[in-house]
Amino acid sequence: MTVRLADDGTILLLDDCPAGDAEVLLQMSLANPAAALDWRSCRSAHTAVIQVLLASGRIPIGPPQGGFLSTLIAPALARSEVGEPR
Amino acid sequence: MNEFVEQFLLEARELIDQASDDLLALEQGDDGQDRIDSLFRAFHTLKGAAGIVEFEAMGRALHAAEEALSAVRAAAKPMSKPTVGDCLATLDQVTRWLDQMQASGTAPADADAAADDIIRRFTGQSSPPASGAVDGGAEWFDILRERHRDGFAGAATALCYRPDADAFFRGEDPLALVAGIPDLVAVDLALPGGTVLADLDPFACGIRIVALTKAPVAQAREALAGVIDQVEIVVIRDETRDDRFSAPARQLLEEQIALLQLTGADGRVGRLAAAGRVAANVLRYCGRSAEASGIDNALAASMAADDVAQLIKAIKDVVAGPQPHDATRGGGPLRAPQGLATRAVRVDMARVDALVGLTGELTVVKNAFGHLSALAQNGRDPATLAAGLRDQQARFDRLLSELQRAVLQIRVLPLRQVFSRFPRLVREIAADLGKPVSFVTEGDATEADATIVESLFEPLLHVLRNAVDHGIEAPARRAQSAKPPTARIVLRARRHLDSVIVEVEDDGGGIDIERVRRTAAARNLMAPDLLAQMTDTEITGLIFAPGFSTASQVTGLSGRGVGMDSVKAAVERLGGHVGIESRPGQGAVIRLNLPFTVMMTRVMTVEAAGQMFGFPLDTVVETAMVARGHVVPVGAGKAFVLRDRTVPLIDLAESLGLSGGRANGDARVVVTSMAGQLGGIEVDRLGERMDVMLKPMDGLLSGMRGVAGTTLLGDGRILLVLDVAELFQ
Repeated sequence: MTVRLADDGTILLLDDCPAGDAEVLLQMSLANPAAALDWRSCRSAHTAVIQVLLASGRIPIGPPQGGFLSTLIAPALARSEVGEPR
Repeated sequence: MNEFVEQFLLEARELIDQASDDLLALEQGDDGQDRIDSLFRAFHTLKGAAGIVEFEAMGRALHAAEEALSAVRAAAKPMSKPTVGDCLATLDQVTRWLDQMQASGTAPADADAAADDIIRRFTGQSSPPASGAVDGGAEWFDILRERHRDGFAGAATALCYRPDADAFFRGEDPLALVAGIPDLVAVDLALPGGTVLADLDPFACGIRIVALTKAPVAQAREALAGVIDQVEIVVIRDETRDDRFSAPARQLLEEQIALLQLTGADGRVGRLAAAGRVAANVLRYCGRSAEASGIDNALAASMAADDVAQLIKAIKDVVAGPQPHDATRGGGPLRAPQGLATRAVRVDMARVDALVGLTGELTVVKNAFGHLSALAQNGRDPATLAAGLRDQQARFDRLLSELQRAVLQIRVLPLRQVFSRFPRLVREIAADLGKPVSFVTEGDATEADATIVESLFEPLLHVLRNAVDHGIEAPARRAQSAKPPTARIVLRARRHLDSVIVEVEDDGGGIDIERVRRTAAARNLMAPDLLAQMTDTEITGLIFAPGFSTASQVTGLSGRGVGMDSVKAAVERLGGHVGIESRPGQGAVIRLNLPFTVMMTRVMTVEAAGQMFGFPLDTVVETAMVARGHVVPVGAGKAFVLRDRTVPLIDLAESLGLSGGRANGDARVVVTSMAGQLGGIEVDRLGERMDVMLKPMDGLLSGMRGVAGTTLLGDGRILLVLDVAELFQ
């Protein structure tokens, strides 16, 4: 399992998160609305997972492992606001 | 450019016009078989023409369109809106290619990718909706540029990727594809408005990915090859093709930057104005009038703030910067067609025949002169000779006026040439703003001088944009006023005496007097008490005042801070004037009153500081001798009294910056009138009246202020004909 709820209540993203993780992450985020997210051990994540992060509006604790995630996606999450025109 | 290509460009543009007309008529519900036949023929002929100039990519693209049209024709069913959109997008692309060919003289080498896009539209791999061509507006691009100003410096390509909702089902990972684009500078992510986590469907892809990269467009395309139909690409910089400026133009622009960067307070304002004007003129000369207007605005801003930085930046941006809306996918707003398009004129054979006939008659007169000179040589008495000379001179005079008229007729074009570009543009503007508009042109066979016809495009485009954007109410509002939901805009032309009247009429809300008053007050156009006293008509006229429209009310469509004042300026430059008629709640009419011809002008010559100048005779009211003692100083200027009216007086030599000692005798004054105001111009000597072919200033001098044009005098000197209104500004 590459999405996991840690003992301290933090939601962890690990290694390479596939599309299937999106549903898990969504349910976990809804069930723990105040939980912090941590993707420091994440190498890559499917667009579906990033989409859930984007919708949640939460900025995960980083930086993540993968270069693409850390240099481009993390800043994009920090900048983006839900509600921009598609 | 070789003759084949020249002919090809001419014919292709006519075919495009024809096809556009047919497509728009079909879209409006004209389902006549002859329309479809005509459309099919136009595409077919275009394809053939592309083959003749060996433009293979264009041929392929048009072949795809032709196939689709052929299917429509065979099925004998009305053409669907998406197909109309696809065909129009094809014509847009072909127009872009033609523009490139016009500039370079050969078929563009990099047309294959664009052709493939067109073909994909018709082969229906994904059949992008027609609206893609309309609302593919670059709003995402503007946001991107705003956010990543720094990153833009080295970037070459920007793209917006809107994956299909079922992308995840198909096993696609859009971000992974984007990650495959080399040299990414920035990525922006967005979800549709109103997305909440609780309602998110994690299996449906709703994300929008905007990316900026240093990689050239070809590499970006390659990375996204499988999903290219969902991607909109904007080329920011194309290393392979830098035909933005000729070397001298670039050098001139760079010299202006250097000039502006000089420090020292001496003549700073003059330097600023001169550099700004030169830069704008260079751009206009290169056919980049939009950018030139940008420079004009920056110049005005710099002058207002007494700060050169804004102007320097504006010029630098133009030299280095992107012409960003070069969308390679069919999308993106249609660029204003270049003024170059109608350089070649097709002339009615009858008009050429008239010239041939006149040439024959002139030959007869020439022979008569030969005969008369022989008589003179033989010692015939002077009285007979004089009578003969007078006769022939009268004939010669008559023939010459006929010749002038005939030559002018060749320069005369129907307004159709400019009107025909608008149905497309209005359709797109209306679609962008979500206001249904039915657009009608009337009197497009009305003729005017080619210079006028060619210069009308920009002002009219602006007036039409304004009509759609500000004139016409939103559909809901129209419903409240019991108006039909589809607004009506009429573009109309007619000949009235020596003028050509062009009107844009809409059935919108008319001018909101109170809003104009408020805006004028907010922009400090006039003192509040003056504003309060002005009549409704006067208030309405304020929309033409410089500074009334500013960049702050840019809607993305109604221009970039260029207001109706630019329309007024453009029309006045052509020797016309602008008027507006507003019926609150019922609509407005903007009326451009233009001279039929800009060429034949009666001028009066004067001398000042040893040089000869001309004034257009229609601005001259009278000439007067004014005793020196009757010229009185008024403030910084001078004035004199003419029949109980105080008339401002300027010294021509002085106002042109020429030195010349003023004699002490009476002042020779040319009294001029513009817009009902009298003004006196003191000159050294009054000359004669003459009819001249006024040649408008062109090239780098085209924006020169104070000069209406030039003409050659009999002795080979050049006569500068002055623009009286500008002398008094």
